[in-house]
Amino acid sequence: MSQKTGDRIVTALLPPLFSGLLFLLPAVTFAASAPLHPVADPSSWWIWVLLLFVFSFFLGIISVLAGVGGGVLFVPIVSSFFPFHLDFVRGAGLFVALSGALSAGPSLMRKGLADLKLSLPLSLIGSVSSIAGAIAGLMMAADQVQLLLGLAIIAIAAIMLKSGKSGFPEVREPDVIARTLGISGSYYEPTIQKVVDWKIHKTPIGLVLFFGIGFIGGMFGMGAGWANVPVLNLLMGAPLKVAVATSGLVLSMNGAAAAWIYLYKGAVLPLIAVPAVSGVMLGSKIGARILTKVNTRAIRVIVIVMMVIAGLRSIMKGLGI
Amino acid sequence: MSSEIQKETRIDRVQLVYASVLDIVSHTGMVLVAAGFIAYVFRLFTPTVSIEEVAAHWHMRASEMQKVVHVPKGWSWVSDPLHGDVLSFVSIVFLSMAAMICLTSALAVFFQEKNRIYTIITFLQITVLAAAVAGIAGGAG
Repeated sequence: MSQKTGDRIVTALLPPLFSGLLFLLPAVTFAASAPLHPVADPSSWWIWVLLLFVFSFFLGIISVLAGVGGGVLFVPIVSSFFPFHLDFVRGAGLFVALSGALSAGPSLMRKGLADLKLSLPLSLIGSVSSIAGAIAGLMMAADQVQLLLGLAIIAIAAIMLKSGKSGFPEVREPDVIARTLGISGSYYEPTIQKVVDWKIHKTPIGLVLFFGIGFIGGMFGMGAGWANVPVLNLLMGAPLKVAVATSGLVLSMNGAAAAWIYLYKGAVLPLIAVPAVSGVMLGSKIGARILTKVNTRAIRVIVIVMMVIAGLRSIMKGLGI
Repeated sequence: MSSEIQKETRIDRVQLVYASVLDIVSHTGMVLVAAGFIAYVFRLFTPTVSIEEVAAHWHMRASEMQKVVHVPKGWSWVSDPLHGDVLSFVSIVFLSMAAMICLTSALAVFFQEKNRIYTIITFLQITVLAAAVAGIAGGAG
């Protein structure tokens, strides 16, 4: 089978498969809006766990193809279509984001793409605010969080649609903080067969923005790659690949800080978190394999549309409609 | 990557140490997560709360659910860990501590290299995470 045919098949089949899975979920038919009801037969728990695993698996594939983190799609969709309370979905969402970052970390660090010195000051600020965000999120009424989540998801979809990206941004002079902290690096870029040297600027503004991003990530239990990457790449001037990889490293520290707030509140159920984490991770591996065979631009548009739908649904749930 | 490219690419020793520790920790974490979950759902160890009970209450807020069933949370499981749900929970706890373990190795390297600024930043980062782990940062209670 030629690559073009494979491309067509995968592009044609994945979105309907994924959307079909969503609409097969009984929650859509019977309990679409808030409040959630207990599952009719608790002994059928394994059906939900299995569905969550299968859903997370497809989510893992789609998120790699669309170039977004699993966490940002996981929370709005699962909280809208599964019978789990938003608290548990956010708890699981943080671990989905965290595990992805942990498993990809070692190889990205060895290649010089994920940079520890760049990530440490940002994650220090971000982990403090992500703890604050997690506390605020668990203190607020569930419908308020659901409403804010919906608004946040639509805003993120708009950011993803509008924000550009720059492979190798030009940084003339690093700022004082970047110079003092010695934040710079190099990595081998196979597409141009060269070692790329990079440095950053505008670190103070970056630190302020990472504080805000950490708060939102902790509050909604989402990964924050959608915001980390544009800030690192477009504002601070890190090359795109360094921005994406370092964002994961920041997330592994911020997510861990916020995760403990959820762990202490009893908002992490292994029955939900483990199938979600393993499904997304397995799906991501498959997604990475077929990445070169599909039209990622089309998938990205479909994902943005799905995010808008999930966001609207979340807003409706928050408003009790 | 060829050795020539490796020479040209500047990667700090601390970063390579962090990556090696992360590699071990993340793989161990994944194995523990799988093993813990198998022990839980196949009931190899009796859970503290039955799976059916959890499924009957997972539509409730976490705080409301805790009033009805006491699923493992924080460090509540330490005194009695040999239960299926606890083992699965512990594996998740391990994942959440991965960054702290790696940061401790980075702290040692920064300290050896007498890199004062990063020793302080890393120490502060570990302190923030330790505060969250200990429940001081607002998690407990």
